[in-house]
Amino acid sequence: MIELGGAAPKARWSVRLVAAASLAVLVIGGLAVKLAELQVTYGAQLALMARANTVHRVVLQADRGVIYDRHGVALVANSPVWNLEIIPAALPNDARARAAELEELAHITGLQKTELSAELRAADPYGSVRVGADLTQAQQLAVRERLPDMPGASIAQHAVRTYIEPMTFGHVLGYVGPLNEAELKRLKPSGYQPGEVIGKVGVENGLESLLRGKDGWADIEVDARGQVVKTLNSQAPVPGDSVYLSLDAKLQRATAQSLAAGLLRDHKTAGASVVVDPRTGEVLALVSLPGYDTNLFTHGIGQAEFKKLLDDPNRPLLNRAISGQYAPGSTFKMVTATAGLQEGKITPDTLLGCPSYVNVNGWIYHNWASYNLGQMNVAKALAVSCDTFFYQVAAMVGDVTLAKYARAFGFGQSKDIEMPGVMPGLVPDRIWKQLQCGVPDLNSDACRWSTGDTITFGIGQSYLLTTPLNQAVYVAALANGGSVMKPTLVHDVRDASGHAVQVLNPQVTSTVPASAATILAVREGMRQEINPPYNMNYWFRASGVPADGGGKTGTAQWGGSGLDLPTHAWFVFFAPYAQPEIALSIFVERGELSEVQAAPIGVDIMKFYRANVGAIRAQEAR
Amino acid sequence: MTWRRLDHLQLLLIGMLATLGLMTVFSAGADWGRQVVWVILGAAAYVAATVFDYRRLRPLALAIYAGMLLLLLAVHLVGHTALGARRWLSVAGFPLEPSELSKLLLVVVLAAYLSRSDRVSWRTFGAAMVLAAPPACLILTQPDLGTTIVIAGVLIGMLFLAGARAWQLFSILFAAGAALPLLPYLLHGYQRRRLEIFLDPTQDPLGAGYNLLQARIAVGSGGFFGQGWLHGQQGQLGFVPERATDFVFAIFAEEFGLLGSLILLAILGTLLIRLLRSAAVAPDRFGELLAVGVFVMILVQVVENVGMNIGVLPIAGIPLPLISYGGSATISTLAALGLVQSVTLRRRAVAIADSNSAALGTITRRAQA
Repeated sequence: MIELGGAAPKARWSVRLVAAASLAVLVIGGLAVKLAELQVTYGAQLALMARANTVHRVVLQADRGVIYDRHGVALVANSPVWNLEIIPAALPNDARARAAELEELAHITGLQKTELSAELRAADPYGSVRVGADLTQAQQLAVRERLPDMPGASIAQHAVRTYIEPMTFGHVLGYVGPLNEAELKRLKPSGYQPGEVIGKVGVENGLESLLRGKDGWADIEVDARGQVVKTLNSQAPVPGDSVYLSLDAKLQRATAQSLAAGLLRDHKTAGASVVVDPRTGEVLALVSLPGYDTNLFTHGIGQAEFKKLLDDPNRPLLNRAISGQYAPGSTFKMVTATAGLQEGKITPDTLLGCPSYVNVNGWIYHNWASYNLGQMNVAKALAVSCDTFFYQVAAMVGDVTLAKYARAFGFGQSKDIEMPGVMPGLVPDRIWKQLQCGVPDLNSDACRWSTGDTITFGIGQSYLLTTPLNQAVYVAALANGGSVMKPTLVHDVRDASGHAVQVLNPQVTSTVPASAATILAVREGMRQEINPPYNMNYWFRASGVPADGGGKTGTAQWGGSGLDLPTHAWFVFFAPYAQPEIALSIFVERGELSEVQAAPIGVDIMKFYRANVGAIRAQEAR
Repeated sequence: MTWRRLDHLQLLLIGMLATLGLMTVFSAGADWGRQVVWVILGAAAYVAATVFDYRRLRPLALAIYAGMLLLLLAVHLVGHTALGARRWLSVAGFPLEPSELSKLLLVVVLAAYLSRSDRVSWRTFGAAMVLAAPPACLILTQPDLGTTIVIAGVLIGMLFLAGARAWQLFSILFAAGAALPLLPYLLHGYQRRRLEIFLDPTQDPLGAGYNLLQARIAVGSGGFFGQGWLHGQQGQLGFVPERATDFVFAIFAEEFGLLGSLILLAILGTLLIRLLRSAAVAPDRFGELLAVGVFVMILVQVVENVGMNIGVLPIAGIPLPLISYGGSATISTLAALGLVQSVTLRRRAVAIADSNSAALGTITRRAQA
């Protein structure tokens, strides 16, 4: 059937066959040239794109340091939350499947589909984009079940700060939040990345450098579906340090409760209290009321909620304990007494009158009592809080010396504590008053320091301002014999492996230039005030707390000058009398009667301290 | 001796392509075992086609044509739908893609028709058009733009090589030019989108432009030497879509680099020239046109497939002959090549042999009864 022919048949290449062959060679040659261009000229660039496709650097979030109280009670937790993350490039290519998946993702996140699409379009196609709000445990489990059918979508877990008792500890701890633009600009050199959280207020801010961990990273290889194939390189994150505050959680709670109860009893809305250890300057409790829920800030606060906090007339966001500046009123009289005694203007036995008013150059300055209380020494003058007695002492000492003593007790001095927003208060003097006038005019009463300014300065009025923290440090100095301690909120700091990074190192900021006898005479006045026959003793008897210590009330006028001005109520206190281990200040905003409104709160705190904390601290000391 | 008359180079090239194809399909993670079966079945078809005297096909042309139309109609009536196109028939549990088969069948039909005379009259020209139109329409409406393009290429290529006059070929160009404004209406949405994306791939890098971009990235990252068999990052991690079929060349280029790709192109190019040589030695016009038709069929597929893989041509679903995964394509390509081998085998023997050979050759340009 097949004819056997020669071994070398002659091919007949027609013109058209040659043309076809040439065309084939030409076209394939052309493809080869384009191929060479792609693989050689653009090879490196496209290889980089391939790497960008598959290798992603992910940040391994470092745990922020945990904050404990002095006994190791955790006050904050890094709680897990879940978010939906989408790698835009890994979504289905098929337009219909893609639309369907976006539909479902929009449903899960509660976003509009158009919104979601826009968000994804704006993002790095090969990176993970976090979309929507935090998912609950139930939500994230439901989403996880659907993940195999949703290429490109994944669930990512990260930690969010949860504050254990925000209403009690909120003003001390503060809260964290994502960096704003200004912070990012400022902190970029320190390695902060966009979207990172930073302490905004409270010790979260004050101890940011300790609490902040060092984020790690991992280079992971992912496939087209966004599934991790393997980890190429990584560096483990280093958690932040653990901070053990000087706060005693129980005492803090008791302080907050006592203050809240006191405010409620007298229909007051705002107040503050600071309890310190006069031996070390450690802050054992620091409360400002009203508080606010700091968890709102870490778990996402709505515009409306935030506006409500901002517009609240009681200003819950203001930490009155450190940022509120108020006249100290009669609680300042110990400074005037110290100055008078130390400067030799009076002795502990000097008797001065306590009339219902004094007349200075035709200006009348009243005592709180409308009748003459008779002759008295400085201790009794403190115990009955005679204004006219201290007008006389202040006039003898003079404003310049009085200001010197006030500053020595820490008034008007910045308190360097581990929180932002600490206000220094104000100690006025002649120069300060001059500067208050735009154009200094030595002949104007508004600019010139008057004797009236001096004597009201002596009872903690005039232009004097203090903070509850300052008050506690001041009374602590009286308690410990004249050392103004540097207040601190930190007991010690340990790194992730438990090694001490920072230990308590009590520091004396300044020493009051007063002899032991002077301090003793002043303390005697404070002792008498809370003991019989004076009314203040009632609260101790009623509570069953021994009046072993020293206290001083103060009802400070504010908002100008004249009669019937609104007042704030103060109570400062230290105990026990012989070897004080606690010093505190109570502030009741708009309190009218310090003996009735502020003092019982202090007694209440003291009662708790004696019953609970005292025993624990005694144990600690041993 | 029959063996000595075979085109050995063609056999060698086919063997190399099939081997590279299997390796690439394996790397692309497709059903490798199945592809081995296809290649074995294709080899059987190849042998059968070689042994079979192609000249006996000519009287069957009408029946073949009718059968082809029936198959294509059947696809429209009872075919399976996948990826938005109705292309598959289920035959004894195996998926059959008649459009793949129809490329070869149309080559046979056109070769039979055009070999009726030595010239291409306007009448013959028109009749060829009319013959090609129904299968082209049936395939285009599946929709399968890629195969339609191959069929158009086969038609034009075969007309040219059959000796169509310049005016006739120009008239096709004119018609095509005139139809161009109608193109947007003829194409399906996604086909139009592919064309737009081809013109500007950056306009939707994650949607329609994704395939194109990812294929380019894969090819480019192959560099000169390639990343090595089974080590192409883009391919192995699934970034290249349709990586065993339409974009198999991207996988190949990523793993074997420019060096491997040039070798592959050289093999394909040599095979194509070999097919033309078969035409040049064909004993009759039918055989010549058969070989020429298979040449055009394979050339168009190679150019379009490689072209779209490297981003110089718009995307259309066309397999790379003997490399892409797929039963219908593999078997019909091998059968087509077998037919060409059959033509070569039955070539004219020359009367005057060179040097030492003194065989008795007779020119056999007449079909045997």
